[in-house]
Amino acid sequence: MSGKGGRVKIADCGSTWTKILDPAAHTLEIITTKELVRRADERFEVATGHCGRGRCRIYRNELVALAEGGLSLVDDDDFSLVDVGGRDIKFVRLKGRKVEKLDWNLACGSTTGATLELLGNYYDIDFSTLPASDRWVNVTCGVFGMERVLEQIAVGTSPEESVAMFLHGLVRNVIDFVGRPAHFYLSGGFCENPCFMRTAERYSRVTPLGRTVLLEGLKKVLE
Amino acid sequence: MDNRSRDTVIGYYGFPRRKVLREARERFGRELGLVDLDVDRGALDSGILPWTTCRIIANIVDNAVDLRGRLVAIVAAVGEDKCDRGRHAAYLLRRLGFTVIESRFPDDELENRPLVISRSRLPLREKIDRIMATVVDPGAPAAPPAACEPTHGFWGVPPHDFRILDLFPETTHVYGWVRCVEAGRPSDVELECRVDEGVPTVFFTQSFCAKQDLAHHLAEKHRGLAVDCHREINDSILAKVEAFVKLS
Repeated sequence: MSGKGGRVKIADCGSTWTKILDPAAHTLEIITTKELVRRADERFEVATGHCGRGRCRIYRNELVALAEGGLSLVDDDDFSLVDVGGRDIKFVRLKGRKVEKLDWNLACGSTTGATLELLGNYYDIDFSTLPASDRWVNVTCGVFGMERVLEQIAVGTSPEESVAMFLHGLVRNVIDFVGRPAHFYLSGGFCENPCFMRTAERYSRVTPLGRTVLLEGLKKVLE
Repeated sequence: MDNRSRDTVIGYYGFPRRKVLREARERFGRELGLVDLDVDRGALDSGILPWTTCRIIANIVDNAVDLRGRLVAIVAAVGEDKCDRGRHAAYLLRRLGFTVIESRFPDDELENRPLVISRSRLPLREKIDRIMATVVDPGAPAAPPAACEPTHGFWGVPPHDFRILDLFPETTHVYGWVRCVEAGRPSDVELECRVDEGVPTVFFTQSFCAKQDLAHHLAEKHRGLAVDCHREINDSILAKVEAFVKLS
């Protein structure tokens, strides 16, 4: 199945962002998923993600794509890889390049990434200059976390500090979710969030792999 | 006595003592059908229990209210073989006007039946259906299914939404409370927590079920996958289990 224009495309259709790769042309397009929804005719050869089902010839499970993408990009025999998305957090730990443990947080603790993006937009936060906060709020889930941010602002904490505290809470969730390793690889949009990276480095050494890890996993289907 | 509707039934939940179930049938009519109230029968929410109630317990109460005029009695497992909420459900149902017969499984009635179905090569959904049918009819199957080595494991109770079971291969062994049912030992927590080392196992519970404590512990200990779900399974849970089955 070809995409618009007749070219074979593969896509990671996340809940808030969609990454579309044309492997032959080596072009990557990153669009909001609301834009993908508007493109009713967009179809892919291979896809993953909540919004990719029904738009592709071959659908790939997200955790499988993450694990296979990690194996493509990382040479280590043993490593942990976590994808922090808008809606959920996915995690694989490999030992001897075989999956030893995997997990995917769902209803509780979910939508924290999307909520951070909403808060950032609402308060005009520049995450590239936002200082990491020593303090954090409990981010049980996106909604509970947002309530904590609103409360902090109500008691006089600046919006910047309050959002940084939310981000710190999210980082702590991620670190706990992956079992507090000394080092892990990070996948997803937070690789491009300097405040997230600075906050995460307080707990573990983090190597960002960028936003195309799942696409690397999907490429294997074409081989 | 027999102005009762022809479709009158006896409800039960959990794994009641065989003796108590037999006596209930003798008392109310051997010809009456038996209905397992634990399972999803499409009943509407009764609104009697809080939202944060294990879906299986909610099924019991919702099914009972839905069947109300047809239920002559409910045989309720309320001992260690079930849970506190099963006992609370019995209390509430009695106050709603149902005839409730309580069952507590004593240690000297624990059986030691062979684990034929748990270790067989069959679709997982069928395995669990067949095991749960032994609560009412413990007779050995006429044609026992073939045994197999386990490639995967499913630990837990019968889920509210059976679609999760379709993700597992036929070589999946059944552990946890369902295995205890086949053995005739529904309150044996040692057997409930026994799994085969090295077999990739999904430890499943309904959300808000006390067995989440065991599932979390066992998943950490055996590097399995703990999965909990409230009400129906969603795509994310299916995808998570599918990935575990594929990658393990």
